[in-house]
Amino acid sequence: MAAAGITGFQETTTYKVVLPFYAYGALSFFLSALLLFLNTELFEHHHFHPITLTITHLMALGWGTMVILGASHQLLPVLISGKLQSVALGHLAFVFTAIGIPFLATGFYQFKFDWVLKTGAILINTGVICYLVNVVISIHKSKKQEVHAWFILAAGLWLFSTTFFGLLLVYNYHGNLIFTKNSVAYLSLHAHMGIIGWFLTLVFGVGSRLIPLFLISKYNSPKTLWLILILVNSGLISFITLKLMGLSEVFYSLPILLILSAVVAFLVYCRKAYLSRIRKNVDMQVKLSMIAVLQMLVPVLVLIVVIALLPTGDKQQLALLYGFCIFFGWLTAIILGMTFKTMPFIVWNKVYQKGKRTASGAPPAPKELFNHKIYEVTTYTYLIGFVLFIPAILLLHSVLLKIAATVMLLSALFYVINVSITLFHKA
Amino acid sequence: MKILNTNTNDEELCLKAFEDLYHVDDPEVGLNVIDLGLVYKLEFDKEKKFLDAIITFTTEFCPMGESILENISISLTDTFPDWEVNVNVEFDPPWEMSMISEAGQEFLGY
Repeated sequence: MAAAGITGFQETTTYKVVLPFYAYGALSFFLSALLLFLNTELFEHHHFHPITLTITHLMALGWGTMVILGASHQLLPVLISGKLQSVALGHLAFVFTAIGIPFLATGFYQFKFDWVLKTGAILINTGVICYLVNVVISIHKSKKQEVHAWFILAAGLWLFSTTFFGLLLVYNYHGNLIFTKNSVAYLSLHAHMGIIGWFLTLVFGVGSRLIPLFLISKYNSPKTLWLILILVNSGLISFITLKLMGLSEVFYSLPILLILSAVVAFLVYCRKAYLSRIRKNVDMQVKLSMIAVLQMLVPVLVLIVVIALLPTGDKQQLALLYGFCIFFGWLTAIILGMTFKTMPFIVWNKVYQKGKRTASGAPPAPKELFNHKIYEVTTYTYLIGFVLFIPAILLLHSVLLKIAATVMLLSALFYVINVSITLFHKA
Repeated sequence: MKILNTNTNDEELCLKAFEDLYHVDDPEVGLNVIDLGLVYKLEFDKEKKFLDAIITFTTEFCPMGESILENISISLTDTFPDWEVNVNVEFDPPWEMSMISEAGQEFLGY
């Protein structure tokens, strides 16, 4: 007659909300890597190119956003010290976004700003609204609003700003119906709202909780996290202001400095958590996540090179390298690292939590729910592919581009295999 | 087998509880809940056959919390089948490194 009275303990979100996001993300990563492999010549063109737009949105929405939305639904209770308000809204966020992304990708692929693209953009915005409403109500009802809750809220608001602005850009494309200039002129605003406002802010907020958690580190510095939150948001707002004022790129050193400071402060935060860790044996997933934090410096450095050293030169490859270092760089690395620190737990809880046991008795540990050899190969092929891409893009070396894309595609394939192994694990 | 950091009013029954609790792991850490120092209190009321347990997690945000709680509850119920078992989770005092046993520290790489 066991009665488990519970005090001060927060239940997690059901796996039914979370796992579809991970599965969708894995397939999107593979599809993006496949498209990149089939179209390596895109690096010779301007970034406003059908394939580049398709891959970028598949990576940003299908891969980055879907996995992060899944993790966010799962981790929201621990980040806000409250519970997820609505499981139904979580499902709706997935359904709308999951249907919207193929429409959007098809629209970009065909390079037609017609009903297909508009339907995709509207569906994605509907999904994001479901997520945002869920987050806002969950935070409002939570017992205490720590700095992590503000990271989630700020990131969610930036996500909606990004997708809504994207929707307006789609409608503005023919005939400048909404803005004074053509949509292409606003692309950098749209992109940085998403990259800095959504991805970077959320990764800072979630990473600052998860990295110490997985290292079993007691390090915590809310002051540093508040500083990071202020730096990253003021950096983005100042960039948007400067851009709308139409000032020259020289003035962009201010937002770059602010965002660089936020990245460095986050690096220092992670380092302190690492040094004060209780668990001395650090697994490969956490190591890759730490590499991802270092990779955050790469696009910032590329930007500095572009603005400071090449004020008038040809920046086409550097612009593409900048985008690549974000979507296939730190964003992919941190997801590759954190997937197998979070998803096995979700599956483990689903399969074994309620006293279920395997035929042989004790259940396997969550880390045994995926194949470590495949994970190692995924990690190494990813890192090799990423490193190879840098000279390949800069030199526009077609053979090197193809080799790098092949290695990256292999990494995505191994990742999908391992995600499948975990998702379909049975007791 | 030692009682370590667990407060109890009955060492004999506490050790009996430990026999099975040593097989309950924190799945993320891979270490049992006793060596990890997660069991704060085991208080036995022999007359009423009531066991009051207080446990903690390494962090308030432990993703495996539900599972650890469930497994400790199952373990105690299995050990004391005709008792009423109540397991509560508390974070005051917060779990810290000093609560890990020597064997546990060795396991974690110290």
